[in-house]
Amino acid sequence: MIRVESISKRFAGRPVLENLTFDLPDGRITSLLGANGAGKTTCLRIITGLLRADSGRVHLGEIDVAQNPMGARRQLGVVGDREGLYERLTVEEYLTLFARMQGLGGKGLRQALASVRDELELEELWRRRTRGFSQGERMKVSLARALVHSPPYLILDEPTRGLDVLAARLLRRTLLRLRAEGATILFSSHVMSEVAELSDRVLIMSGGRIVGNGTPDSLVAETGSANLEDSFVALAYGESRRANEEVPA
Amino acid sequence: MEWMQRLLKSLILMIAATPTAVTMAQEEPTAKRCYLDGWGDSLACYRVPVGEADNREGLAVMVAPAVNSSGREPLYLLAGGPGQAASDLAPLLNAFRKINREHDIVMVDRRGAGRSGAFNCGFEREMPADLQQFSAELAECYLQHPGFAEQLNSRQAVEDLERVRRFLGHDKIALWGGSWGTRTALLYQQWYPQSLRALVLDGVAPIDTKVFLAASAAEHALQQLADDCAADSGCARFGNWRGELQQLLNDWNDTRARTFPDALTGAPTEEPMLRWALANAIRSALYDPAAAAQLPYAVDQASRGNYLPLSGLTGLFAHSSNGMAMGLTFSVACAEELNRITPEEVARDSAGTFLGSAFFDLFATGCKSWPVQAKPYSAPEPRAQPVLLISGTADPITPPVYAHTALGYLSDKQDLVVRGGGHINSRRGCIPELIAQFLDAPDVPLDQSCVADIQRPPFMVAAYGPAVTVDSQSQPQQAGGQL
Amino acid sequence: MMRRPDYSAAQMAALLRKELLETWRDRRALLMAICFSLMFPAMLAGSTIFFVKMHTEEKTRLALLGVDNAPLLEAQLRSADLKVETLSEGEPRQLLAGGYDLVLQVGEGFASDYRSFRAPELYLYVDSSSASAGRAERHLQERLGQLQQLIAGQRLVARGIAPQLLVPWKLQVRDVSTPSSRGAMILAMVPGLLILTLFVASLATSVDTSAGERERLSLETLLLQPLPGWQVIAAKTLAVASMGWLGSLLAITALVALMPLMPLAELGIQQATTAAGVVTMGLLLLPLALLVAVVQILLALRSQSFKDAQTQLSILQLAPVILLMVLDMSRVELSDHFWQLVPLVAQQQWLKSLLVGDAVSLPWVLAGSLATLVPVVLAVALGARALRRERLLNAV
Repeated sequence: MIRVESISKRFAGRPVLENLTFDLPDGRITSLLGANGAGKTTCLRIITGLLRADSGRVHLGEIDVAQNPMGARRQLGVVGDREGLYERLTVEEYLTLFARMQGLGGKGLRQALASVRDELELEELWRRRTRGFSQGERMKVSLARALVHSPPYLILDEPTRGLDVLAARLLRRTLLRLRAEGATILFSSHVMSEVAELSDRVLIMSGGRIVGNGTPDSLVAETGSANLEDSFVALAYGESRRANEEVPA
Repeated sequence: MEWMQRLLKSLILMIAATPTAVTMAQEEPTAKRCYLDGWGDSLACYRVPVGEADNREGLAVMVAPAVNSSGREPLYLLAGGPGQAASDLAPLLNAFRKINREHDIVMVDRRGAGRSGAFNCGFEREMPADLQQFSAELAECYLQHPGFAEQLNSRQAVEDLERVRRFLGHDKIALWGGSWGTRTALLYQQWYPQSLRALVLDGVAPIDTKVFLAASAAEHALQQLADDCAADSGCARFGNWRGELQQLLNDWNDTRARTFPDALTGAPTEEPMLRWALANAIRSALYDPAAAAQLPYAVDQASRGNYLPLSGLTGLFAHSSNGMAMGLTFSVACAEELNRITPEEVARDSAGTFLGSAFFDLFATGCKSWPVQAKPYSAPEPRAQPVLLISGTADPITPPVYAHTALGYLSDKQDLVVRGGGHINSRRGCIPELIAQFLDAPDVPLDQSCVADIQRPPFMVAAYGPAVTVDSQSQPQQAGGQL
Repeated sequence: MMRRPDYSAAQMAALLRKELLETWRDRRALLMAICFSLMFPAMLAGSTIFFVKMHTEEKTRLALLGVDNAPLLEAQLRSADLKVETLSEGEPRQLLAGGYDLVLQVGEGFASDYRSFRAPELYLYVDSSSASAGRAERHLQERLGQLQQLIAGQRLVARGIAPQLLVPWKLQVRDVSTPSSRGAMILAMVPGLLILTLFVASLATSVDTSAGERERLSLETLLLQPLPGWQVIAAKTLAVASMGWLGSLLAITALVALMPLMPLAELGIQQATTAAGVVTMGLLLLPLALLVAVVQILLALRSQSFKDAQTQLSILQLAPVILLMVLDMSRVELSDHFWQLVPLVAQQQWLKSLLVGDAVSLPWVLAGSLATLVPVVLAVALGARALRRERLLNAV
């Protein structure tokens, strides 16, 4: 369970997140929806501990992210909004590096590497340097890196962006497998079909606030829309217009 | 990957070199930094223990280290005299700069010379002009140190040199000998050929040659000067100045001796210029071609009653005994040279010469006060080390004929002859370069063509000095005549 | 805190391996480091060879005009260095332009003036804007001076005066330098250049590993790993320092390897740098390499972008090197031991000593190296703090 309790964040005096509170239950995939600039990335970074909230707390299970960042990082797998690969390292070297940094070694390391290699179909890429990889290949490596230490919590920032069909399918398959094993998964996206298909729950952000929180069906019902996209537009843009009127520039 | 191997090798070398360097440091004698007049760079100076009570300080050994210690054999400089100190040869290092890049240059002051306890009998600066007085002072000196006087000789100098070679840890060495130093070098070659790689001999005094019979050699040098003068358009004007010189010496008398001007003080002389001293001064002028070039004019003027130029010329040698340790000079000269010269030989040598026995008499008189035992040499045995001989055709003391006639026992020799050259030519023209080439490859014949470029300095033809034009038609003008 | 310190070393090793792999696989950075490291020893050797060639091998060509007025000059001036060519006529300016280094003109009345003791004029035409002018004049003065002395001597003798009266005393010069310390003239720039090499060789890597990682967002991923910030900075510092250090080692090796080709002996200079000296120099530079690396990383992390970092560092790295050269040229007395506790100055002084074969004092080297390492530790700590700054993540 990831618990976010009333976190707020300002950048240079401008509020980016305002009093966010939500829970992410284990064994569920939650998607985070929001227009550009809604505060999704900031929210994810606070959950991963990269940023500190001005107020509020984030717990990964029992771990307070701000107080025990090292502990939190061992529990987390993160795929950022760009892949963060090292072009001069091979896939094997890259994954070994992160596995070791996560404390793996010896047999455990070999097993973990073999497991992500097989799951994400990395055999062909394994000894190649990542320079010149396609978007899909990069995502696969990046996901493998996030998963190599089998973290119970997985955070993905727009993982499907620019993916081809096969890669997107592989990603979906992996996320579903992880959900089945009880992982807590949060990903941001603005592809509604994907969100509707994968998510158990949906969080909608607008103007630094949560404006919608529920299952896709409940959100559709709540807004009286025909589908998730319409309900997102209603929640996100209705809310942001109101927010703009309230907050002086 | 060659560079890799080299890198590894150098690392191995470094590791291996360190402990050896430490052990070397323990064995290597300690040097002090010192200087010699005439050479600006610092030298490594050692004291090498030799002998007993008479030489408590040990031999003074001065080394000009090679700029690059490339392992080439060191060059030892042997001084003349006998009685000169090797440390007085320091100015020669300026000419030997190139040699010094690869070769250590070693100067050993032999026992009784220079810094190794100069045995100068109190003749620090000037010798008394009066032979009797000189002889008396010498006798007194001898009586004070008869044992020391007896033991100084060439054999001892060579043994000491060999000891220094071992002391400094040198394997084979090269020797440069100048004048009497060539005798020491040739004797070293006889006794320690295995220590020797090459010899450079300038102004050669072969073992069998009686170099104190100097009258004929001096006469020959003077005749060469006269010939060269006659061939020079400016100098030829002096006509038969050689004859005038003879006349001058023949007519020399007490009045002239006492009124001879003093070239240093400008005042009337304190010591009269005696005839034998004048003859020796003229002989001395022949050592140096630049001085010799002024002789025709000086003699010509003297024959006209103007003794000033002759005085100026003799003034050049005012401090003639400078640097010679007279005790050492006489110990060696009397034991090794004077005793093997017969009166007949003296008569034959001095007959018809301007010098006569004026030079020989000085030593003959001195040796009467210096009764050391004769120390004859044995006949020289064949030797095969490469030898470079350097001579000047107008050398008044070691003419080239010595090198050409008395060194038949040397199988590998090259001969540099400087036309019109005086005594010691190692510094002139391309000779230093040729010596450097010789030491680099002693067995390769040298290209000697550049030796011919060495010329006599211009003759003094008038009070203004040398003629700047070939045909000096105008009469020499009197000094200050135009003012 | 749920720290698992037993993982720390393995984590650090993995990270260090990554940083080293990245550093040494960066061909452009490597090429730049190697080029610069080899460039200055090659230039130094080349210029020395050229300098010596110019000063020792070149002959001076002298055109002698009006030689009929004083034929003596022709014979007496000629030497191994001075080639005298007599010309009946010629325009000095054209002769100088046409390959002669000097033109010496003897006037009409030279001989008669000379004979009557009226110091006649000799006219020396020289093009002082030409590179060979100084050497040519020196060659001529040498010969002319000797002739002048000879004539003055003869004139004194003619008047009964011993020529040595012209020499009231003999000045004996005693040079306290050693053949190896004379190398300091040529090698004076080398410590500064070696330190500059260190800066230049590590520049590209330091920017890549900091500003570059940040721009590529891989830094973010790294920061999400359970290891303390100081380890990240330390690993990067070590990797960057390895490049800078090896660059300077390469430069030292190249320099020492080229020394035998340099005509040092002709200049009376002994090559005194030993293999042990080279190794010592390398070791001395290691703490400095670390300091340079960590400072470069810190600066690059502060900058706005990759390009910005490159520009800033290129300018900033010149500052200490220029400072060193100014200190050297202004002959600030740095022999005081306490200068050995100042990073950069210390290394410069040590390198200078080792290059000319002098010894350096081990306690002071240890103290000075420690004085260099202390700021390294501080900078790593500072860098660890900088990694926590939010601004680091926002610049994209």
